[in-house]
Amino acid sequence: MQLLKRKPLQYSLFGIIAIILPMLLNAKGSTYTLLASIGIISIAALGFNILLGYSGQISLGHGAFMGMGAYMSAYLVARMELPFIVGLVMAAIVPLLVGFVLGLIALRLEGHYLAIATLGFAVVIEEIFAEFSDFTGGWSGTKAGFPVIFGYKFSKESVYVLVILVLVGLMIATYNFMKSSTGRALIAMKKSEHAAQAMGVSLFKYKLLAFSLSTMYAGIAGSLYIHFFRFCEPKLWGIALSLDLLASVVIGGIGTIGGAVVGVAFLKLLPTFLQGLPILGDIDGLAFVLTGVSIIIFIMFYPKGLINIPNDIYVRFMKRGKEGGKDGIRVED
Amino acid sequence: MASVLKIDNLSISFGGLKAVDNLSFEIEDKMIYGLIGPNGAGKTTVFNCITKFYTPNQGSVKFKTIEDKVVELMDYKVHEIVNLGLVRTFQNVELIKDLSIIDNLLIGAHSQYKSTVIAQAFMLKKARNEEKLMREKAMNILKDLGLEDKAEEIAGSQPYGVLKNVELARTLMSDPKLIIIDEPAAGLNETETEALAIMIRKIRDTYHCAILMVEHDMGLVMNTCERICAINFGKKLAEGTPDEIKKNKDVQEAYLGKEDDIA
Repeated sequence: MQLLKRKPLQYSLFGIIAIILPMLLNAKGSTYTLLASIGIISIAALGFNILLGYSGQISLGHGAFMGMGAYMSAYLVARMELPFIVGLVMAAIVPLLVGFVLGLIALRLEGHYLAIATLGFAVVIEEIFAEFSDFTGGWSGTKAGFPVIFGYKFSKESVYVLVILVLVGLMIATYNFMKSSTGRALIAMKKSEHAAQAMGVSLFKYKLLAFSLSTMYAGIAGSLYIHFFRFCEPKLWGIALSLDLLASVVIGGIGTIGGAVVGVAFLKLLPTFLQGLPILGDIDGLAFVLTGVSIIIFIMFYPKGLINIPNDIYVRFMKRGKEGGKDGIRVED
Repeated sequence: MASVLKIDNLSISFGGLKAVDNLSFEIEDKMIYGLIGPNGAGKTTVFNCITKFYTPNQGSVKFKTIEDKVVELMDYKVHEIVNLGLVRTFQNVELIKDLSIIDNLLIGAHSQYKSTVIAQAFMLKKARNEEKLMREKAMNILKDLGLEDKAEEIAGSQPYGVLKNVELARTLMSDPKLIIIDEPAAGLNETETEALAIMIRKIRDTYHCAILMVEHDMGLVMNTCERICAINFGKKLAEGTPDEIKKNKDVQEAYLGKEDDIA
């Protein structure tokens, strides 16, 4: 039991279950589609949580960074016929660099200028995706195949496994650096800017770091997206996706690693579940309404997020609980 | 330069108010120095100017760094100050409440970490070793201050007196040449204040650093400080040993008012 308290082990266990369970249940293709999209969006949400949960900044343009990763990867792999790994790496690096430059400008100003800058950026980028058709395929969209790594051709099911592996790998990596001096600096910055500065933390540098890292996660997610769904169009990377990311982080638990995954799963599964019900299921744009309503409910009544429910129950019934985990990645008080 | 800190003609004003007015003083190596004055005299403002939380309108602050190099603090940014060997505490204890005490100390060593985010994300050997060394250093400091059994406690769950000490311990993580302490006795009872006096002297003797403190508690100041500067309305009233300060007419007036005021 003591061993299970180690977070990296928990994440790995989660990964194994996520991979094996659909296999055992002989899941249908549509179930894999749903699960893979949860996994992919979770990767972007994980990055988004570094930004929102630690540097306290909001981005409204992360969808655009995902799109950048997707088009980059599709262009390099499907058009230039480079290996999938090259596409994936470039899909991480290019949004990282673009995010770095954008942050360099927007983060110089205090306050919520990053939100405004990224919103504008997303609108511009969406247009570029549509107009720059040599590269993106324009309005008719772009295509890519399942990935090939060292001669192994992925199928739908095995891309899903790849998605989960990348997700778990990133969760562990995120956990590791959040536990180290970088993570402590980010936590310090969020909790007390004065203390952080007095201890030598450059606020600008760490906000920029959090933002660029989060854009990198988005780029990776984008690359996996295009190689799972094998098609995308410019509209997909708009504000709705960015808001979904924001919503899942808020609902799952701000400033937590598991929260990103839980939040995405909640937002994806709830509409699917409710669509089966009479009356409610007939409402148009149900998912959209639910996202909005959930954000409001969680911010007002349970800002700690879904991830904290088990801990709260434990504290309530065992009476001797500790507040949050002891891993340095803590839930808001 | 024999002294570790030399302030010359420091001035800052907020709107029309001159919070600090042509203030000069200097602190010798390994000295415990007190800065006193009535409420609103500008003491904390002086601190904030030295540590660059505020940018003074004029004046110079020279500081002798860890490498015995004399630098002008006005040329540095707020987060660069700690690298030079100058570190501060805050009036209202600025610790990260939901991290453990040892993690709080590790934040104090932030500027000494050299490994990159990538090394940390993949837990490369270099990053692991570095973390281990810092943890040992933090444990040693906690031992010196008698806090070692609280290392893994969450800071927010500890009493105020302990937190004050933890904040002091955190300053030591950066190997300082000068520690600036803002009202260490505020909110402490008499016993805790006495223990604090012992701890401040011990820190100076063990870690060979100078200490500059702002304090209201006259007992603590007169007991621990070797030299004192008294200010009022941002201007220097007097400077000298505790005994000289006690006898100084201007200082008495500032604190107690003029005799004929009462009559």
